[in-house]
Amino acid sequence: MTDDPKMAWAITAEGSQFPGPLPCGLRCIPRGVDELATEHLVLNMGPQHPSTHGVLHILVELDGEEVIAAEASLGYLHRGIEKLAESRRYHQVPTLLDRADYVSGLHTETAWALAVEQLAGIEVPGKASWLRALLMELNRYASHLVWLGTFGMDAGAMAPFLYIMRDREMLLDVIEAITGSRMMFNYVRPGGVVADLPAGVDAKIRAWLEVADTYLSENDALLGGNEIFRMRMKGTGVIDRATALAFGMTGGCLRATGVDYDLRRDVPYCAYPELDFEVPLGVRGDNMDRYDVRVGEMRQCIRLIRQLVDGMPEGEFSGKRSRVLKVPAGESYAAVESPRGELGIHLISDGGLTPYRMRLRSPAYFNLAVVDEALAGGLIADAIVTLGSLDIVLGEIDR
Amino acid sequence: MWGSGILKGFAITMRNMFRGPITVMYPEQKLTLPERARWAVAPRYDAEGRPKCTACLICVNECPDHVLNLEVSKSEDGAKHIDRYVYEVGACMMCGLCVEACPFDAIEMSHEYELATRDHGDLVRVLLRDVDAASTRRAKGGDDA
Repeated sequence: MTDDPKMAWAITAEGSQFPGPLPCGLRCIPRGVDELATEHLVLNMGPQHPSTHGVLHILVELDGEEVIAAEASLGYLHRGIEKLAESRRYHQVPTLLDRADYVSGLHTETAWALAVEQLAGIEVPGKASWLRALLMELNRYASHLVWLGTFGMDAGAMAPFLYIMRDREMLLDVIEAITGSRMMFNYVRPGGVVADLPAGVDAKIRAWLEVADTYLSENDALLGGNEIFRMRMKGTGVIDRATALAFGMTGGCLRATGVDYDLRRDVPYCAYPELDFEVPLGVRGDNMDRYDVRVGEMRQCIRLIRQLVDGMPEGEFSGKRSRVLKVPAGESYAAVESPRGELGIHLISDGGLTPYRMRLRSPAYFNLAVVDEALAGGLIADAIVTLGSLDIVLGEIDR
Repeated sequence: MWGSGILKGFAITMRNMFRGPITVMYPEQKLTLPERARWAVAPRYDAEGRPKCTACLICVNECPDHVLNLEVSKSEDGAKHIDRYVYEVGACMMCGLCVEACPFDAIEMSHEYELATRDHGDLVRVLLRDVDAASTRRAKGGDDA
């Protein structure tokens, strides 16, 4: 025995006094040999592996093909966004937040705008709320398309990815015409949005709506309609309701376990109280349920976008937006339902020109935390699919 | 029937094969950018071809990444003269905050998107060099006030 605290884990592993599956990788050495004298293998998945959706590093301990334990190691994409926000004025922060969740930047921007407006008591014109909701839904659809394509790729389906990217291109054209950029929008600010809908974009959205249903059904038929895909997904990567709630999972991953929780309906913001939509739910919380919930959400997205385009009110797109916004001292928390779940901004102001502290509640971080539980016991091929089904964005996780 | 989904998948793939290409042959063909597309910052000029910049420095203070820099000198009568208006395009994130903030409409987000260079030095541009600020000309002549 040694008194060195660093060796404590190793001793537990040798003596196997630790109850349950041991953590591997960073905290522990692999457990050596089992009855068949096959050595467990610790495999570094990532941080440059294409199936980890970014620079995620997962240490998996394998017994043959079976995953014994898994541990996610984060921080490769850390840029200090929360700290940088402390040196930016309130209207400059959205440029950073676009880079947090780079697949659906408008949700982060809107969460920020809502948090600042809540603290500063800024009234937002009705049209700005509708424009925000419209852009968020367009962005949600584009984000879900990325997930759908890459999820198919994880399972080995290459063709749907290309068709899905074609569909996403149509949406990005619309978003670019409205915001001026395809990814780093910088469109939603405290007080409203930067600009009104440009002329002609209405027709563009309607042209997309005409084909959206057809294309989505086709893509769904290619993946969800394929028997091999369904057999592969059913019963793998099961995350039960208690685990999902214990890990603080939100969004599609939580709804796939049957928990009926959607911020758009339960804690309404922007134009959502006036809109009519359903919240798709799963039952078992396996990969197939997560797939079905997200595809169901995409159908609801199309429905919402149609309502938002038809009912877009007249009026101002922005209230008074100040370049030197002074927010009174205090705290606020605002959350939106991003494609990945509850995306919250906790803002603390000391009354100065810049935030005192900005904290991003990143939904993908909580959804990813469950991999330690969800991957263990499955096969390595299922681990990749399960990871894909969680829809993680590393920019948001590492911030 | 087991397998009908796979056959339907083949049918969909065939249908997509006949839908025609969606890409263009860049760089021979180029897509038109939407009006609001934001790319490299460029100065704006008045009808007589003189820059509209008044050297007020609002854009310089506005930029979150500090990629704009105005070197301004003042003559004896207090008139502003722009020695250099430097723009680090390599560090610019094209957020458009400078253009939004400019009260004189003197800069714009241009549609110049082919920004790759062979020389690292080309990524630092001098937008304006050795020119009187618009406010100074206004004070002197008053023709473009």
